[in-house]
Amino acid sequence: MAFAPLLRGIGFGAVGFLLGSGLGAIVRVTMGLDPWSAEALVVVGYIFGLVGWLLGVGVWGTWAREWFGLAARRGEAQGWRRYLRFSTDHKVIGVQYLVTFLVVMLLGGVLAVLMRAELMAPGKTIMTLNTYNNAMSLHGILMVAVAVAAIIGGLGNFLVPLLIGAEDVAFPRLNALSFWVIPPVAVLLLLTPLMGGFDSGWTAYPPLSVINAQGQTLYLLAFITFGFSSILGGLNFIATVIAMRAPGMTWSRLPIFVWSIFAASLISLTATQFVAFALLSVLLDRVAGTSFYDATQGGNALLYEHLFWFYSHPAVYIMILPAFGVALEVLAHFSRKPLFAYKWVVGAFMAVVGLSFLVWAHHLFTSGMSDFLHLPFMVTTELISIPTGIVFLSSLGTIWLGRLWLTTPMLFALGFLFNFLIGGITGIFLADVPTDLHLQDTYFVVAHFHYTIVGGEVFALLAGVYYWFPKLTGRMYSERLGKLHFWWVLLAYNVTFIPMFWAGLHGMNRRVADYSPELGGINLFISIAAFVLAASFLLMLVNLARAWVRGPAAGANPWKARTLEWQTSSPPPAENFPAEPQVVGAPYDYGVPGSRHAVVAAKGASEGEEKRDGDAAPRNQED
Amino acid sequence: MLVVALLWAALTFVGEVLAVRLTPFRPAAAEEGDLIDSAFRSLTILSVPVLAFVLAVLAYSVLRFRVPGDPTQDGPAIRTHRPTVTTWLLVTTGLTVAVIIFPGTTGLLELHDRARHVDMVVQVQAQRYAWKTTYPEYGFSTWELVLPVGRRVRVEVTSTDVIHSFWVPAFRMKVDAVPGLVTTTVVTPSKAGSFQDDPDFRIQCTELCGVGHSVMRAPVRVVELSEFEAWVAQQSRSQ
Repeated sequence: MAFAPLLRGIGFGAVGFLLGSGLGAIVRVTMGLDPWSAEALVVVGYIFGLVGWLLGVGVWGTWAREWFGLAARRGEAQGWRRYLRFSTDHKVIGVQYLVTFLVVMLLGGVLAVLMRAELMAPGKTIMTLNTYNNAMSLHGILMVAVAVAAIIGGLGNFLVPLLIGAEDVAFPRLNALSFWVIPPVAVLLLLTPLMGGFDSGWTAYPPLSVINAQGQTLYLLAFITFGFSSILGGLNFIATVIAMRAPGMTWSRLPIFVWSIFAASLISLTATQFVAFALLSVLLDRVAGTSFYDATQGGNALLYEHLFWFYSHPAVYIMILPAFGVALEVLAHFSRKPLFAYKWVVGAFMAVVGLSFLVWAHHLFTSGMSDFLHLPFMVTTELISIPTGIVFLSSLGTIWLGRLWLTTPMLFALGFLFNFLIGGITGIFLADVPTDLHLQDTYFVVAHFHYTIVGGEVFALLAGVYYWFPKLTGRMYSERLGKLHFWWVLLAYNVTFIPMFWAGLHGMNRRVADYSPELGGINLFISIAAFVLAASFLLMLVNLARAWVRGPAAGANPWKARTLEWQTSSPPPAENFPAEPQVVGAPYDYGVPGSRHAVVAAKGASEGEEKRDGDAAPRNQED
Repeated sequence: MLVVALLWAALTFVGEVLAVRLTPFRPAAAEEGDLIDSAFRSLTILSVPVLAFVLAVLAYSVLRFRVPGDPTQDGPAIRTHRPTVTTWLLVTTGLTVAVIIFPGTTGLLELHDRARHVDMVVQVQAQRYAWKTTYPEYGFSTWELVLPVGRRVRVEVTSTDVIHSFWVPAFRMKVDAVPGLVTTTVVTPSKAGSFQDDPDFRIQCTELCGVGHSVMRAPVRVVELSEFEAWVAQQSRSQ
């Protein structure tokens, strides 16, 4: 039965939860406490419930049985049923991530629409102050999760093994585990309203996050669990890129998207522990009577901000590095030119990884930390413009003199450049201490980070989704609707977010359910534009859903691209390639006579796709 | 190349005219605020040519190098171009260092320098969801921040419950109110004004603090020194 693994996971999870919360109650009684404490019991119950869920959904059957000398059960499934089970195929896991996070993105988008409805006019419009704070906080954490995991988890899982000519990732079962801890994260976050919600934003600064409603505890458990997934994912990608590359796939021949995932993984493997501890210590303050952040008990609230941003600033590079990777990948293929200054881009990625750990306190310029920290953190932050500048150099150098093929993915990659340029330049104003003293925590910041994450990363995500959709599904969407979607999103996006810079400069601070009446006009304008922006995503949904069900067959290589994922059928077979590919050249050598990136043997070749990459001859053999 | 250069020059010209002519904010009412606004203007003026350059290359490339339909041939195999890369690195590094020095470091040093000598001290205590101002020299407290024009004031900020942030949009300056800590910011009000006439004359909480965060405001009034002294005398009598 298709739903058996899910139902087993839910059943085991429920048993684990009851067991854990019962145990928690017993412990409380032995400590002389009232057995009933919703938060404490939920925490213990959740830990057992999570283990039960994972065992039930597939860890026991496909993995843990072996630890006890039993034969693992590896049930096969076909079609859509594959996506509902503990599959170890990286392509299935990639689609699971992508669909999950596109759904989460739509939920976060609905919350954004509700927030903009409240902000249409000063005073109360549709919700109370408390409801707004809860909706805003939930919007924040859902979208941060999307930003962290949609490209890496979705496109990264599906494509990294294909791009390096591997059969799968280094640790396929660990990969499945990384995905299956995500559904409990989503469930916890969506259940927060039942426990009073959480109104401390995605940043959850104590003491507020210690004394607010019990929904905060669910948020803390969710974020810690999500971090666990992120650490395991990072570990897996690093091992995969180091150990699983096909013969001839030297580091200098790695497609740039693989480099970007590798760089981002270095950060997720090493930085996530810090935020996990920060959140855990808040959780302990709430349920275990510690006082990390209670000043009256010797705690220090400022400590949390340092710990939190020590992860959460590097995390923005976990978000944006893969976006650089997707954008550069798409720009090179659709300009029909080598990626300009490839080696410099690799160096820039590594420089960003290093610098990302040295800039966190630029979030704290107004926090009251010591004054002498302002200068060094301003300097390190400004220095990041040099490696990001190299990404622009590479992009512009690649399209210059190219043969630009303005397909939907190419348009989104170009849109990424435009939006990220605005996001990057406005970042200078926030890195500069004097201007930041005014701009910090205003709508200028809201506009800036949406420009980098939505205008930047989400545009790159959409470029990637449209670029690789034919590979993921074997089917082609409507280019006409795709282009319409692009222009709609680009215009509506900019019309929504440009005025936010203005609002911030005119005294509109962020995270507010209400504002000064004189800001009513600009907010009404922003809200209407935001509704138009939100509607554009319905167009993408219709286009992609229709194509997935009954779009025309895409063929192996509809974009006539050179990299390895296009040298196998669409979608690729379980083993990815009919035989191990031999990599013999650079991935982007368009226009180099006689060059080729890789040779894929014909043995059992699907659709006769062998040896067709990078030929200098006119490409007229398309199916 | 020439077309791109002309396009760049034109965009830069238009951008700079807009940057200089349009004032993106209401005038500040503190000397520190003027410094911040002038830093903002300098950054805008420096940003325009960068923005214009990328836009010019982007727009020209898309219009000039687009291929209708499917491309039948590849572009030239240019993997890199050392002079371009070197120039780019030198220019971006130069710009970055320039921006770090001015208006970043210069502004920062001036703000720190100003904090050394102040004419008076007020204490602001944040609590959910109100701001209480104490005048330690005069020994009274109010729920309105009243300051005289032209006196440099150190505002000592703290909180009794959660983290808040003290921000007066008209002054531009901002600092968090953290329980257990006293944080400071220095402002020198430069012109009279009040919340009744200008909503920028308010203390606005800018760190999410709970349900009343968005409405956690207090009126600010800046008056001439003589008027301030009269107000102090009156407050001292009534308390």
